[in-house]
Amino acid sequence: MSNLIKRDLLLSFYSSANFFFTVSFFILVLILIPFAFGTQTDQLKNLFKGVVWIALALSIIITVDRIFNADYEDGNLDIIMQKNKTIEYLIISKYITHWFIYCLPLLVILPILSFLFYLDYSETIQIFINLFIGSFGMVFIANFVSALTLGARRTIFLKAIIMIPLFVPFIIFGSDAGSWPILLALSMLSFVISIYVTAYGLRLYGE
Amino acid sequence: MNELKTENLSCKRGENVVLNNINFSIKSGETLVVKGRNGSGKTTLLRILSNFITSYDGKALFNDISILEDNLYNSKFNLIGQKNSLKENLSIKKNLELWDILFNEVLDHEKLLEHNNLHHFINRDAGSLSDGQKKCISLHRLNYKKYDLWFLDEPFVYLDEVNTHLLIEKINQFNENMGIVILTSNISLPKNFHKEINI
Repeated sequence: MSNLIKRDLLLSFYSSANFFFTVSFFILVLILIPFAFGTQTDQLKNLFKGVVWIALALSIIITVDRIFNADYEDGNLDIIMQKNKTIEYLIISKYITHWFIYCLPLLVILPILSFLFYLDYSETIQIFINLFIGSFGMVFIANFVSALTLGARRTIFLKAIIMIPLFVPFIIFGSDAGSWPILLALSMLSFVISIYVTAYGLRLYGE
Repeated sequence: MNELKTENLSCKRGENVVLNNINFSIKSGETLVVKGRNGSGKTTLLRILSNFITSYDGKALFNDISILEDNLYNSKFNLIGQKNSLKENLSIKKNLELWDILFNEVLDHEKLLEHNNLHHFINRDAGSLSDGQKKCISLHRLNYKKYDLWFLDEPFVYLDEVNTHLLIEKINQFNENMGIVILTSNISLPKNFHKEINI
């Protein structure tokens, strides 16, 4: 398990363009808000709270191909699955690395962005907590979608169509301040479902 | 002394019967060549033996224990599939480093690649190599130790004469150290190995 985490982190470090791209993508989506809606401070604030979730959802969608598909296409998934006899450990290490590589940088950059959108200290903290908890749930969902669509190549649209409806509950509750217990419940629920479905998808791949 | 054998192994994929009553037994120090036409199920057989496919009829036994129940079995074989397992956008050196972590063993790659005359390419991107060179790098995974079984899926495809002989030499050496090799091939090989089955 720790070997796989180490390997995935090193892989993303070597191809660091991946992780810079996700952060820049996230920032750029948010920067579009003032262009589309004008620069009135009050409006921006409210829009930011909602659009930040859309930006997170889109950033996760563009990374979904890198969870299992890249390793599947070049054959590394064979080695990974052989070395990790307990498939659940494999999946949990994928959750950890995927969150660490693609969600953590977004959370780090978030306070700076919310400062640019005139959010005050307490509002930033609330958004941060919501995103922190909700991002886990979204990562769990992305993982199982990735595992289920392993055989189908170049199907980022299909994956997006499956994932976006599943992200809706997170986005509904996410933009409310103080709704973190609901997000926590959603994340835990998606963890339970995701680990079964991902394991099923990976076993199916072996066939 | 290890022994790998199958008893009436049959496998269906949907309506298609891919493998029908495969019986063989192979002991330490022997090599089995699996021959057959395209689509005859050679890769399927190797994937059954490597526990990737788990639903089949009949038995596959390693030292008289079913490979599905033997918890240690997965750490005993080294499977080299048809895909190269190389990240095309990374250099060979970085690719090998990633393998080292997965295999939990650090090799002196530069020295080992000298045999195949590939050590000049260690800093080149994997995507820029030819198919034959990629195959050589892929077979480089055989240098990881502590395996009792090698499963090689079409190992000779793309290889030139020199590398083919080097690989045969490597297989012979592994056999001498009591290793079991199962390889698939749809062309005739320059050397006769111990056993051969047609499927």
